[in-house]
Amino acid sequence: MAVSGHPIYIFSMKRFSWLLALFLAPLSALSTTPQKSFEQIAKQADAARTADRMSEAIGLYTQGVRLHPAWSDGWWWLGSLLYDEDRFAEAAPAFKKFVALTPKSGPGYAFLALCEYETQDFGSSMKHFGEWARRGSPGNDALLDVAGFRWASLLTREGRFNEALYLLAAKAAKVGRTPALVEAMGLASLQMNSLPEDYPPERRELVWLTGEAAYYSATGATLRASQYADRLLLHYSHEPGVHFFRGTLFEFQKDFGAAEQEYEEELRSSPDNGPAMTELAVTLVDDVQPDKAVPIAERAVSLEPQNPRAYYALGSALLATGKPEQGARALEKAKQFAPNSSFIRFTLAKAYRVLGREEEAKREAAAFLALRDKQEVLAWPGNRGATPEQVEVQGTKKP
Amino acid sequence: MTLTCIAALGLSAFLTAQAAPAASAGGAGQRKAHNAEASPAAFEQLSKAADRARSENDNENAIRLYRRALSLRPAWPEGLWYLGILEYEKERFLDARDVLRRFVSYDPTAGPGWAVLGMSEFKSREYSRAFDHLRRAMALGMGGRKEMAQSVFYFVAVLLTRFEQYNESMNMLLAMVKSAQKTDLLVEPLGLAALRMPLLPAEIPPDRREMIRMAGQGALAVEAGRQDEAEKLFSGIVAAHPNEPGVHFLYGVFLLDLRPADGIAEIKRELEISPFHVAARLRLVEEYLKEERFDESLMLAEEAVKLEPKDGPAHMMLGEVLLAKGDLAGGIRELEASEKQAPETVRTRWDLLRAYTTAGRKDDAQREKEEIEKLNAPTGEQEP
Repeated sequence: MAVSGHPIYIFSMKRFSWLLALFLAPLSALSTTPQKSFEQIAKQADAARTADRMSEAIGLYTQGVRLHPAWSDGWWWLGSLLYDEDRFAEAAPAFKKFVALTPKSGPGYAFLALCEYETQDFGSSMKHFGEWARRGSPGNDALLDVAGFRWASLLTREGRFNEALYLLAAKAAKVGRTPALVEAMGLASLQMNSLPEDYPPERRELVWLTGEAAYYSATGATLRASQYADRLLLHYSHEPGVHFFRGTLFEFQKDFGAAEQEYEEELRSSPDNGPAMTELAVTLVDDVQPDKAVPIAERAVSLEPQNPRAYYALGSALLATGKPEQGARALEKAKQFAPNSSFIRFTLAKAYRVLGREEEAKREAAAFLALRDKQEVLAWPGNRGATPEQVEVQGTKKP
Repeated sequence: MTLTCIAALGLSAFLTAQAAPAASAGGAGQRKAHNAEASPAAFEQLSKAADRARSENDNENAIRLYRRALSLRPAWPEGLWYLGILEYEKERFLDARDVLRRFVSYDPTAGPGWAVLGMSEFKSREYSRAFDHLRRAMALGMGGRKEMAQSVFYFVAVLLTRFEQYNESMNMLLAMVKSAQKTDLLVEPLGLAALRMPLLPAEIPPDRREMIRMAGQGALAVEAGRQDEAEKLFSGIVAAHPNEPGVHFLYGVFLLDLRPADGIAEIKRELEISPFHVAARLRLVEEYLKEERFDESLMLAEEAVKLEPKDGPAHMMLGEVLLAKGDLAGGIRELEASEKQAPETVRTRWDLLRAYTTAGRKDDAQREKEEIEKLNAPTGEQEP
């Protein structure tokens, strides 16, 4: 839309002159102001912040860190205030400086990761969420809430759907249903490598219905989950991933027969779907049909030779059909790809025990016990022992 | 006309306005703080060149010059504003968003700034932030810029639907209809709100577009008092999509005013298709209360609260049922729970005012009265 020749042009030039006068007047006054010391600036910055004069505080903290680049509190407050104003591109460098100066501070990594998410620097964001987790995921509820949610979205984008769902399900239990949570659960459940901001708009209804089913399933409202899962069939029964998702729901509800049907339906439309094949094999083992599971798991492994879950399905099936040696080999392969998986270590312990390899069985059992609370890779930050550090998202406490 | 066109209308209207948004006194201190860092001559030269390039429609050059001027004086409000607008016009919404965030941080009272920021965020699909910022623009007002206000109202209304606040969305859309806006644009948003589908018009599945349009046209017909046309449309949807969630509820609510028994039957049919439909239960509760069928209304209201324990309207209806049955303490308890969940619902406050008065709780009744007055006081942009 053009603005050339518009009355606003004439208006703005008049206005510009007026503004120029406004700008120039205080400039001469400022030029005679003596140089302030760092201590004075720091004091004024804190005073401006506590008095809610945020723009002024940002300016003063900026001056302060320029004079004294090792001032970690200054970087913290600068980052926090810019973050509060959604100025993420400017906040990120401040938090980067802060964590470099105080590497033990976990919340700084979470805020840095959040800023990087917003500026679409997703690789760095993932890395810094990881750093935050390694420090015990400290922070108050609001920070845990937003950081856990963004991290889950990135995990979905990276194809780490189970980990994403683990975080989201924990959030569902903790804070209840929100439209954003439903959407994120829908994306992860449909195994779409997308963020809520970038998936095709025409898939919105599919994502919403799937998310509703996933949310209610995760919170134990099974009938309500089934209602949404059935609504999916009304318009999306031929959509890739829908029967797979329904299979996972039924599997979760231990309705193995229904789950098998859904996985088979998914495989009819996409015969080389490795995850559907893997889950079908796992379900058949759970449904005490390991003979049927073995060839399916073998095919899943050949389709996805780096998928630990496929090796787990094969190992479990072989173990259940009385082939513990072959089963242990498949499970060892699974462990190789996912050493932090508690259920793989548990099943491997079982296989070793059957084979009479007691020492190895004990080692795997111990590993299982150590890992079982973590459920794969992630433990929900809120469930961990809180570290002494507690910060407010709004930046009202010191780091 | 597309959404882009609506937004553009708003911008056009703003650009022709007589007052730029950066004129508030709040920015002056900030300007002072940055003057010391800027080179006045260079800044003056660049800013003039930027304005000239903009006036000559050389927008890419203007953008470049505004950026350079802003590197000398980062808190220059006019520069931030025009740069934001130019980036928006170029459909570089992320860039527009970043610039406008800086603009509103220097002048947080600039309603139009929040408006264009919200629109940029809407375009970047940051719906939650867009919603907050557009509502902030509404609260601050847009200085009488009617077309911009219309755009903001439109975006807020469609986002309300996406965030599942269907009644609020419907109210806004109907207010827009009443203010004689082009109804063509409102058909799909009305249809989505009426059918309680949390989608934006751009997200409508192609196989349901016709159904949604019919629902929207039906809502328009009801609003215009063309009941026959509305009934034809709604019954047509039900006939064409008998198993689609939402359609029986819509038709049933319409029929309640004309033929209550038929309306009740349609809503019950909806509950067979959508057994967890809270709004359908609440509408039935309201009808049964009118018909003094207290036991049935109590059962449904309790079910609604059980399904959605945090739903303000569910608690409100249960409170109304309990009061109607003579359970004053239980009614007040539920109404207070409703008020906690949805403090801005005037109906709950009226209910509480009456209940407190009956219970002789004069101070509480007075407090509710004051809250009602506050809630009814005009703020910001009231008319679309």
